[in-house]
Amino acid sequence: MPNILLLFLVPFISALIVLLYPSKNKKLLKVFSTSLSVIPLFVLLYIHAEWIATGNEQFVKYEWFKLINIEFYLAIDPLSLLFVYLACIIVPMSLLSARRELIHNTNTFYALVLLLQGLLIGFFTSRDLAFFTFFWEAMLIPLYFIINEWGGPHRHRAALTFLLYMILGSALMVIAVLALYFASANNGSMGTFNLDELQGVAGAMPYAAWMCAAFLLAFAVKTPLFPFHAWLPDAYFQATTPGTILLSGILSKAGIYGVLRITLALFPAIMAEFSPWLLSLAIAGVLYGAFAAWKQNDFKKVLAYSSFSHVNFVLVGLFLMNETAQAGGILQALNHGITITALFLVASWLEQRIGFTNLGRLSGLSLYFPMLCWLTLFFVLSNVALPGLNNFVGEFLIFYGLFAYSPWLTALLGISIILSVVYMLHWMHSIYFNDPSPPHGIWSDIKAKQLLIALPLVILILWVGIYPTPILDHIKPAVNKLVAYNQVEQP
Amino acid sequence: MNSSLNQVELLALSPFLVLLTGALIVLLVETFWEKASRQISFYLTLLTIACAGVAVILSPESHHQLLTPWLRFDTIARSFNTLFLGIGFGSVLLSDPFFKRFGATKGEFYFLLLSSLFGLLLIGSSADFLTLFLGLETLSISLYVLCGYMKTWNVSHESSIKYFLIGSIAAAFLLYGFALIYGAVGTTRLDALMAGYKGLQGSKQVLFMAGTALITLGLCFKAAIVPFHMWAPDVYDGAPTPVTGFMAVGTKAGAFAAFAIIFLVSLPQFNLEWNRLISYLAFPTLIYANYVAIKQEQLRRFFAYSGISHAGFLLIPIAVGTSQALPALLFYLIVYAFATLGAFGVISYLDTRPNGVLLKDLHGLFKKSPFLATVLAICLLTLAGIPPSIGFFAKLYLFKLAFQAGYYALIVVALLTTVLSAYYYLRIVVIMMTDKPTETVEKPELLHSPPALALVVICCISLLALSIYPQPILNLLSTMP
Repeated sequence: MPNILLLFLVPFISALIVLLYPSKNKKLLKVFSTSLSVIPLFVLLYIHAEWIATGNEQFVKYEWFKLINIEFYLAIDPLSLLFVYLACIIVPMSLLSARRELIHNTNTFYALVLLLQGLLIGFFTSRDLAFFTFFWEAMLIPLYFIINEWGGPHRHRAALTFLLYMILGSALMVIAVLALYFASANNGSMGTFNLDELQGVAGAMPYAAWMCAAFLLAFAVKTPLFPFHAWLPDAYFQATTPGTILLSGILSKAGIYGVLRITLALFPAIMAEFSPWLLSLAIAGVLYGAFAAWKQNDFKKVLAYSSFSHVNFVLVGLFLMNETAQAGGILQALNHGITITALFLVASWLEQRIGFTNLGRLSGLSLYFPMLCWLTLFFVLSNVALPGLNNFVGEFLIFYGLFAYSPWLTALLGISIILSVVYMLHWMHSIYFNDPSPPHGIWSDIKAKQLLIALPLVILILWVGIYPTPILDHIKPAVNKLVAYNQVEQP
Repeated sequence: MNSSLNQVELLALSPFLVLLTGALIVLLVETFWEKASRQISFYLTLLTIACAGVAVILSPESHHQLLTPWLRFDTIARSFNTLFLGIGFGSVLLSDPFFKRFGATKGEFYFLLLSSLFGLLLIGSSADFLTLFLGLETLSISLYVLCGYMKTWNVSHESSIKYFLIGSIAAAFLLYGFALIYGAVGTTRLDALMAGYKGLQGSKQVLFMAGTALITLGLCFKAAIVPFHMWAPDVYDGAPTPVTGFMAVGTKAGAFAAFAIIFLVSLPQFNLEWNRLISYLAFPTLIYANYVAIKQEQLRRFFAYSGISHAGFLLIPIAVGTSQALPALLFYLIVYAFATLGAFGVISYLDTRPNGVLLKDLHGLFKKSPFLATVLAICLLTLAGIPPSIGFFAKLYLFKLAFQAGYYALIVVALLTTVLSAYYYLRIVVIMMTDKPTETVEKPELLHSPPALALVVICCISLLALSIYPQPILNLLSTMP
């Protein structure tokens, strides 16, 4: 079996196994499903090694619906590789973050997360627009249930809002996919969904600007770009920690990947035209998210808005039609996935200990949870882009690109860095420092197990922060490809 | 002239013979051994249909002069007949919970169901207007009785009378159309129509066109195309649920098989004016049915309108009329059949009252039975044509045909109505997920019914399998001439 097919199928098989796994032992089930969710990472490492050794991109291609020219076409190029890595890392982390006492119907929950992993891998690797759409829509199903069945008291409302936003956002995209297909049929041949073939021709099609806008709308809702974020606070807040991690860590990246894979690759000229508008929306989103995070009195909401602010920062990088900034944007997408996962993880450990997520009710907890406090501080510093940590590299590249475009905008966006320091440290300060609250009998600090869970994230953060070259080397070909399309488009 | 039938011919006819024998046995058992009939007629019917299915697949082709003028034994006939028998099998499974609830006599029911299946098979294999008409009438007459099967239900009386009257009018139209065509070309054989039409001139051509118009009218009645659909909601509403399920899928498939056999196989694109006319019929069908379906509260009625809107989609390949149209039509019919039968399978679990299952009965189904709710959701998503389901691709396939034939306006309308239909199908899914307490109305208890469960499982697995890998079925369909 080709390795990519294996990579794609493993999560589905795992999901089925977990669903049918007869044990009622929640602990065993968690360990079991987490180990299953790591398998794709090893498969991917193997594929990557093989790729480096042979120098050939890997792909699988099967006829699927020949009469309308749909192929089951999965391929891994540098861009896919990075996002698939992220999917392979974030999903096990989200499973590890699950608190056993909060998860009823354990088998179903783990199976849904594994199913989502499979769909994500399919989404990040598919090169056929029909399958791209297929996975894009299919992801909603497990996510809807993950939000709807497990989480806070208003989870039903949050899940429904989420679903409605997603469906409305992507309804036009489906039409754009069909329009692309039919427009490509005009030149006498059968229409095509093959992204490689569409790449050269899509931008010149009639109504290409409308198609591009329809795609952008779908991706903007999912990422979410300001002002399409109304579903976000509720969904992030009401979902359980694994759900929140999946939404913020990897689902927002699906939108970002869509921007890269579809709009920037298929319609570069149109994107260049849209660029000022999109940039202003994204910058507005960064600042809005930052201010909103500052004003929250609940640390889960602080993180939700911080995440919103940072994904918009990523979009700033992508919407600048500039090589460096786009490289920064891609890197920042990975960084954000890692950092926000880590932050929600430590926040959930804190919530587990104190039992609520409000700010201002307790303070000075560093006295009781020194380890958790230091770990949180580390991730907070990563989030505020301390030099030497991962976010610094990405944000620096984006600033670099933005400066060439407009120094004034750079100054404006620079405010967000200050704001992020303000709101993140506000959280740290009010809950961990300040005058210590009276102790509570059963409070206990995190143990070696939790440190071990956080360790991969710490390593990744330090690695990207200190020595980002290997990752940037992978981003460069991806960006070069985008730039190459730009040049084909505008001779 | 060789006038005796030998073994090959008998084998070629075996699907018909098996069904006929099975139906008669069921009737005999019911007449002379009523107690046993209650026990075995269900299994006897299933066995009959299964044997007929095997016979359809394995039977050889016959080239006997006595048979070929009347019946065809090619892959087209075989594909349609397999589909019909599958639908029949599903409908029989569907009837089990119904009988458990309402305890009517079984023997006649299954006899009538088998007779209507026999009619469907005749339609699928007809090579002559007369056999086609015979098939349509055998189907219809059994269904007139089936609609009024629950003699004590008031809703059923209206239903069956209405169906009978409208059905008879449609039959009259059809027969008149056949007569006019016979008058024009001098034959009722389908394979001679195209040649006959090509040689026509002047008033005879008018006669022929008038004949096709009447036939189209008659078939539109049978297929419930707007504006000839008035009977469908009331009839579906009043008939017992398994009969509604059978009608929603079987009758529709039968009517479209007749359409396909006359206008796609025998007279492909004989006159492009006719094709354009059919596409004009698709507009009101799509718009009206989807608009009215939004407001339905009773599920049998809801599926009547849903069925009408899908009939609108099925008109697209008929209007296109190219050689690719037939596989597309069949593929859409297969997907529609699985999804609708699966949905009826789930509904049959909740069916406790003569006036059927209401939308609000579905509240909290997801809590009560996650499995049933999931299956119903899959079926509805397929019917709505939302991307991860195969319904999307089936629709896309039709759109592609319409695009190639240049029916751009039709595509736009079909797309918009698809979005509209997504609303009302998803509304049902949302209702299943929420559990608003339905005041004092007693919630229907779920029934334990292995056959209905089997139906639900089969439909669910088939839809998933089709979504994952539809190519084998498509290969099968594209081998058709």
